[in-house]
Amino acid sequence: MMQKKVCMVGLFATGKTSMVQRFVHSRFSDRYLSTVGVKIDRKEVEVDGAAVTFMLWDLAGRDGFEDITPSYLRGSHGILYVADGTRPETWAQLGELSALARDAAGEVPSVLAINKCDLRDQWMLGPADEAALAARWDVVRTSAKTGEGVEEAFRRLGRGTLARREAGR
Amino acid sequence: MTAAATPAASIDAFGLTDAGRVRRSNEDHFAIATLRKAMELMQCSIGDGSAFDRYRGPDAMVFVVADGVGGQPGGAFASETAIATLVEYLGQAAGCFHNLDVSREHEFLDQLERSVLTAHERLTRGDAAPGGPATTLTLVTLVWPRAYIVHVGDSRAFYLRRGRLRQLTRDQSMGEFMVESGAWTDDQARRARTSGVLMSAVGGSEMTPAIGLVDLAPGDTLLLCTDGLTKHVPDDRIAELLGRAQSAEAAARELVAAALADGGTDNVTAIVARMAPALSTT
Repeated sequence: MMQKKVCMVGLFATGKTSMVQRFVHSRFSDRYLSTVGVKIDRKEVEVDGAAVTFMLWDLAGRDGFEDITPSYLRGSHGILYVADGTRPETWAQLGELSALARDAAGEVPSVLAINKCDLRDQWMLGPADEAALAARWDVVRTSAKTGEGVEEAFRRLGRGTLARREAGR
Repeated sequence: MTAAATPAASIDAFGLTDAGRVRRSNEDHFAIATLRKAMELMQCSIGDGSAFDRYRGPDAMVFVVADGVGGQPGGAFASETAIATLVEYLGQAAGCFHNLDVSREHEFLDQLERSVLTAHERLTRGDAAPGGPATTLTLVTLVWPRAYIVHVGDSRAFYLRRGRLRQLTRDQSMGEFMVESGAWTDDQARRARTSGVLMSAVGGSEMTPAIGLVDLAPGDTLLLCTDGLTKHVPDDRIAELLGRAQSAEAAARELVAAALADGGTDNVTAIVARMAPALSTT
């Protein structure tokens, strides 16, 4: 079975760990515990008829103390960027984060999850912002809490990694 | 990932275990080991001995603590068997860390996980009934600068960097599970008698290894310990003792002494590994 290393990248508390928990274990917790280093989970999925094992590298988010460690990104087959639709700084820094990821992993397929879409009364991402992000990224609105969009985000990333493989890159 | 040659001598490591002040026997065990695959020059007549350097591979260091499940027969047997099995397995697979690069990293993690599964199978095979001898197990394999962690149960791994202590593992216990699921508050978990019940143990009816890694830096200190330490010594005190000690041995002795001074109600084990400040990462 093909193994694909997928890194979760974003600022702290955007819901990267919750996305992995939802995708792998179908569960959600409101409790926030920052990730230290990298947690690795495995999930076998079928993408367009092909069996793939995702090795999900849940990286500690960038915060005031630590930046993302570039060496964790090396060898990635895909990157799932996660922003928080209630915190503008989390999408404002995507350009920097993607530059860092590109330097470490090269050009690899990526998807942007705008997470916490269940928090409608706190949502800060306006239509213009969303259109600007969609012009640059493959964007999926997600909620790790309800599960909305989570499978779709990983499926799109899976398709991207397989398409890249078929193209011989 | 670059796995630079890192002489084990650059890492000051020391482990200590104590039965505590209440328990009659010690069901904790630990091990510290170096995995080598290298030709090391002892003496030669040629002018430039550096040609031999190409045959020096990276050393890997293995740190493991195990806490036999208390109140069940064979706790000490379980922790000892688990560590002996790991050491045996990793010794046979010692070459797997050599020339480790990103394309083979998952293979390496699979090997580490496999070593824990082998220990689990050894404890559960034959006539051993589910719920028989079981143990926690926290394994860190350091191929500089990357520390690979495989963890089962409620022993813990931490690292100290610039005075800040970070916990690398999450307890696989009832308390943690109930708080995580929103059923209990932290305070309820602290008070509940069932908080310490393990949700995952090597040799137990459930065994789910958690896998992780972290890149260490020169000057960092790694700590592996059993819950006999963490139930008596709070994190800020652990950070203080690790930070002020002049050696790994001094730190391990002070940590264990602090747990005993607070009552020592359980077996207590600590492994401290201090990375030399000037380690090469090239």
